[in-house]
Amino acid sequence: MQTIKLRLKDEVSGGVGGVARVPVEADSLTPDKLAGKSEAEIKAVKVWWGNREEKTGDLFEVSVEGEEGEGEGEEAAASADEVKVVFEGDLSRVKHIGDGMKAGEIEANGDVDMHCGAMMQGGKITVRGNADCWAGREMKGGELVIEGDAGANLCAMYRGEMTGMTGGKVVVGGNADECAGQYMAGGEILIKGNAGMLAGLNMQGGKITIEGDAVMPGADMTGGEITVKGKVLDRMPSFRLVETTVGEDGGEYKKYIGDLAMTERKAKGVLFVK
Amino acid sequence: MAEGGVSKMAEGELLIKNGVVFDPINGVKGEKKEICIRDGKVVAELKSPNVKVIDAEGRVVMPGGVDIHSHIAGGKVNSGRLFRPEDGRKGVAVRTKVCRVQSGYSVPNTFATGYRYAKMGYTFVMEAAMPPLAARHTHEELVDIPILDNAALPLIDNNWMTMDYVKTGDTDLLAAYVAWIMKATKGFGVKIVNPGGTEAWGWGKNCGLTDAVPTFDVTPAEIIKGLAEANERFEMPHSIHVHTNMLGHPGNFEVTKATYDLVKGVKTAKDRQVIHTTHTQFHSYGGTNWGDFVSKADAISDYINQNEHATIDIGSVILGDTTTMTADGPMEYSLHQLTGRKWTNHDVELETGSGITPFLYSGKVSVHTIQWAIGQELALLVKDPWKVALTTDHPNAGPFIGYPILISMLMSKKRRDEAAEEMHSAIFKRAALPSIDREYDLNEIAIITRGMTAKALGLHEHGKGHLGVGADADVAIYDISPEERDAGKIQKAFLNTKYTIKGGEVVVKDGEVVATPAGKTYFVTPECDEGLTEEMLVKLKDKFEHYYSVNFNNYPVQDAYVPNPYEIKASWSG
Amino acid sequence: MGEVTDVVCSLCGCVCDDIVVEVEDNEVKKVKKGACAVGKSKLMGHGRIKSPAVRERKGEGESGELRECSYDEAIKKAAEILAAARRPLLYGWSSTVCEADKVGVELAEEIGAVIDNTASVCHGPSVLAIQDVGLPSCTLGEVKNRADLVIYWGANPAAAHANHMKRYSFISKGFWTAEGKKAKKLVVVDVRKTATAKMADVFLQIEQGKDYLVFSALRALLYGYEDVVPDEVGGVSKEELLEVVKMMKEAKFGMTFFGMGVTHTGGRHNNIVNAIQMTRAAHTHTKFSIMPMRGHYNVAGINQVCTWETGFPFAVDLSRGYPWYNPGELSATDLLIRRECDAALIIASDPGAHFPGESVRHLAKIPVIQIDPFPNPTTEFADVVIPAAVSGVEAEGNVYRMDNIPIRLRKLVETEYLADEEIVERILQEVRAIKEKEGKEGE
Repeated sequence: MQTIKLRLKDEVSGGVGGVARVPVEADSLTPDKLAGKSEAEIKAVKVWWGNREEKTGDLFEVSVEGEEGEGEGEEAAASADEVKVVFEGDLSRVKHIGDGMKAGEIEANGDVDMHCGAMMQGGKITVRGNADCWAGREMKGGELVIEGDAGANLCAMYRGEMTGMTGGKVVVGGNADECAGQYMAGGEILIKGNAGMLAGLNMQGGKITIEGDAVMPGADMTGGEITVKGKVLDRMPSFRLVETTVGEDGGEYKKYIGDLAMTERKAKGVLFVK
Repeated sequence: MAEGGVSKMAEGELLIKNGVVFDPINGVKGEKKEICIRDGKVVAELKSPNVKVIDAEGRVVMPGGVDIHSHIAGGKVNSGRLFRPEDGRKGVAVRTKVCRVQSGYSVPNTFATGYRYAKMGYTFVMEAAMPPLAARHTHEELVDIPILDNAALPLIDNNWMTMDYVKTGDTDLLAAYVAWIMKATKGFGVKIVNPGGTEAWGWGKNCGLTDAVPTFDVTPAEIIKGLAEANERFEMPHSIHVHTNMLGHPGNFEVTKATYDLVKGVKTAKDRQVIHTTHTQFHSYGGTNWGDFVSKADAISDYINQNEHATIDIGSVILGDTTTMTADGPMEYSLHQLTGRKWTNHDVELETGSGITPFLYSGKVSVHTIQWAIGQELALLVKDPWKVALTTDHPNAGPFIGYPILISMLMSKKRRDEAAEEMHSAIFKRAALPSIDREYDLNEIAIITRGMTAKALGLHEHGKGHLGVGADADVAIYDISPEERDAGKIQKAFLNTKYTIKGGEVVVKDGEVVATPAGKTYFVTPECDEGLTEEMLVKLKDKFEHYYSVNFNNYPVQDAYVPNPYEIKASWSG
Repeated sequence: MGEVTDVVCSLCGCVCDDIVVEVEDNEVKKVKKGACAVGKSKLMGHGRIKSPAVRERKGEGESGELRECSYDEAIKKAAEILAAARRPLLYGWSSTVCEADKVGVELAEEIGAVIDNTASVCHGPSVLAIQDVGLPSCTLGEVKNRADLVIYWGANPAAAHANHMKRYSFISKGFWTAEGKKAKKLVVVDVRKTATAKMADVFLQIEQGKDYLVFSALRALLYGYEDVVPDEVGGVSKEELLEVVKMMKEAKFGMTFFGMGVTHTGGRHNNIVNAIQMTRAAHTHTKFSIMPMRGHYNVAGINQVCTWETGFPFAVDLSRGYPWYNPGELSATDLLIRRECDAALIIASDPGAHFPGESVRHLAKIPVIQIDPFPNPTTEFADVVIPAAVSGVEAEGNVYRMDNIPIRLRKLVETEYLADEEIVERILQEVRAIKEKEGKEGE
């Protein structure tokens, strides 16, 4: 097991001239991309900071504990399971943490910026704070845990795409902003707090559970399942009430199908409201 | 230059030696031959002792490719880009010292369009559909496409002016209108797309070949015939260029054949076809519905083989995701209803319309498999390659970047058989492709990608599509031996040239773009009798006064939009 | 010069091109025909930025004074700021011509900037919606000739696009609409009774932020699911909704125009997705189209140029050498609220007046270059101010009307001011010179 600690330097997070907070884009710092690298090699990995590429060692304080994985290329990727990357410092302008990650573990100690865990295929990311918009965008697999709140477009699609999350598991400890799980086709999202407007918009598959309240959930859904355990505000006027059932938690749920605004033929989404 | 304006050509001399040259217009079929270039033109011999030399030993040399039909610029193409960021992200590439940024796969940005065509050895591309009212837009984008010489075909068939004159039978006045539109749009030739059907689409309807267009009381058949006759009033380099009615409908091959018959007797003003039908794959369908859908490429090919007045381009399918776009509004709506995917429509007052929707061609779907076969069947069953052009109707049947795949298919029966094995079994029952043994040779490939296309467009008289003395020094050198039969190697070679030379300048070397000179825009100026023009203008100005939403004087494309013009005058032939 | 006809207005997205003006002594003396009151004032001209200027700051936090200087000095200073920036923003581009926009994209590539335009604060949401579901639309002349039902939703043309109804829609006369408004129906949907609403056959007054629900209800009704729709949706009764649905089905050619009342309320771009979905549902019964009421005269144009050059219409990040598009992350207001930018070039727009306070506060703290014919609140904190010719009066060029029809602005008078295109081009050349020098020193 190798633990790579990356502490963002204060002069970077503090911003250019103390005014502009130019984001660092950390997509080159995933366990699979760093596996098999020595401390010196990790420090030399290029990272985009605004319109210039910098060395990781110039932006982060880098420390490595434990043994680096053996081999290079594919072999190194195999050993990514044994790599944990820990981000520290003020991460609120570090974007793309764990973007495209395939294996291993990332821990981010603090609030993270946009696209955390986007296109993720495997491994685990834990955010000990809030995650900004597009966390888990187009996620295919793996596990993403956000202990705080998630911004808008959690696990949604990229602009223009018709598919969002297709696999994996996401847990949000707090609230999720609007359009959580848009165009979701597979996988699971658990939101322990409230969901903003239009959770599960255009949903086609997979499962979203909202323990708190939700606003207009399930609009234009054609498949998949949304469960709201709190209140539904502004329920869509184009859903049909089918029956009242008892949920796994023993509570009574109203079961709706929709969205009929997509026409009856396509309206195969299911919405459970406690 | 006898005609046209400024042309930016590379200065100095260049010698291409030891290459095996395929220059079908000049009857050169794979001969070892030197190509001498001076000041952007092919010359008989070079003067200076230390010219730049390219040694093409063992490689294939052809004139620059000429694409007869592709959607690369204008409102419709850009709406396709705008509403498909998911396509845009597929083709992103970092800028280089010579290249601007690139994006897009089926709807590449203007820069990528120029680079990718040039890398395939193409140096001229015809934008196939320009709505007159939005012609400025088409030209703005053409100017922004690097390297390629270009031209655009204005849509003239659903225009109220056209239909009015067809109804009254005033062919001379119709010709005056055609001439005016050609000049006003800086257009190249007459484009016809679902005549009558697009006007009917203004009310959400469509038209068959002999149905009356609502309100206007003319039939598509009459429009096609009228425009064919009006076109031949001038020595237009190109014939009418027709997207026939009922595109994509099972059983439409009868409509296509009937369309050819309509204009069979029309006398041409120049030595060329009377009609060019485009993306003929979409118009060679048998059956009565998608369930009994079959290929009728044989029937269309038979017609083309037996007649001399019609040419076609194939519009062959490339499997995968693409963006369909056409002025045929009702057709795009049907397609959108079929797939449920996003759909943009843009009807243009008094003239035309357009629809756009993404589409995925899958080799696992019977209908798509048969479509895939039909395009190639047309190329293989039409005996005379001078009657057929290679296209994908970019991006409708697939992006132009798929041309090398098609070339390798046409050249290799083995490759076609291997592909068919992977596809839906319908290909063996409802298409002829698996039973066709013909393989194209490099000379025939040169014909359907440059010789035939240049001739059908009349551009061979303007230095395109050949390497004779006086021709433009547009040359493609492919990194392949003339004996090569391996389909994979053929495909690879045709995707990235060893060299592409444009106007005497090396623009691609070893598959990389190394220079990006501006292309020229070719347009045709038909010379029409002033009296006729005056009479026509009375009617036209009335249309502007009452029905157009722009003023008459703000309509014609100003010279500023065509900074690198090449004008071709077409005199009255009566 | 005397009378000039066919003058094209460079004010709003209507781009009226039938204006007649009187030009004397190199001045527009009179607007004789065609323009609305606001358009007239634009053509006649008003207070201008007199000279290029740079701000002299004496110390940290000091607001400093603008010192007049030459074009050369201002352009050089602008290039120095942009070449040094790590995350520059190039913003505006909607009230200038496409020729300038093209150079703008090239400059953005050269310096690795984010390029964004005013669409991100007006109809950007409409673009996002189009990317989700497409846009069944048409040119304005189609509406004029065919439409017998016009719906304005969250739009008040009587105030914001004064010639719109007269030239193109409800009041205009065309081929099948020779009787004008007598033979047409007008429906207005808004949260308050606007001047346009007062003309309507049916006015639906909906609750703020409930547009999304009303669109979905109309869709369900258009598809025939009357049973599921509740008695009241978003403040509108089911009877009223059914009445509108009947009008939609009976129309020969229906047209919906929507404004920022829909794009800038809860649900934002998803409201437009739903408006377009409603149009599609109506299209299963009859011909139906929809169009955004674009604000600035060439906001459609910069979207076009940016799309054909980068693949994407606005909010494009070129910092990594290739285009990355993501509104909501890269739109100017978002970037500024998040304090991402360290320099900005603002051309032909006024974020100082129109952006949220937090964005403006950040903008005031970073070096800002302004290119504009007219002084505005942005001028008050700009570090470099470069005056430009007024497009459509002093400079010509291409623009796109709200229905994407390209029209060429005319030049009416001569000027000493440089055109936007030339200013941006000269900044680009200066930037290249700086980079070349840096490159040589680095070797």
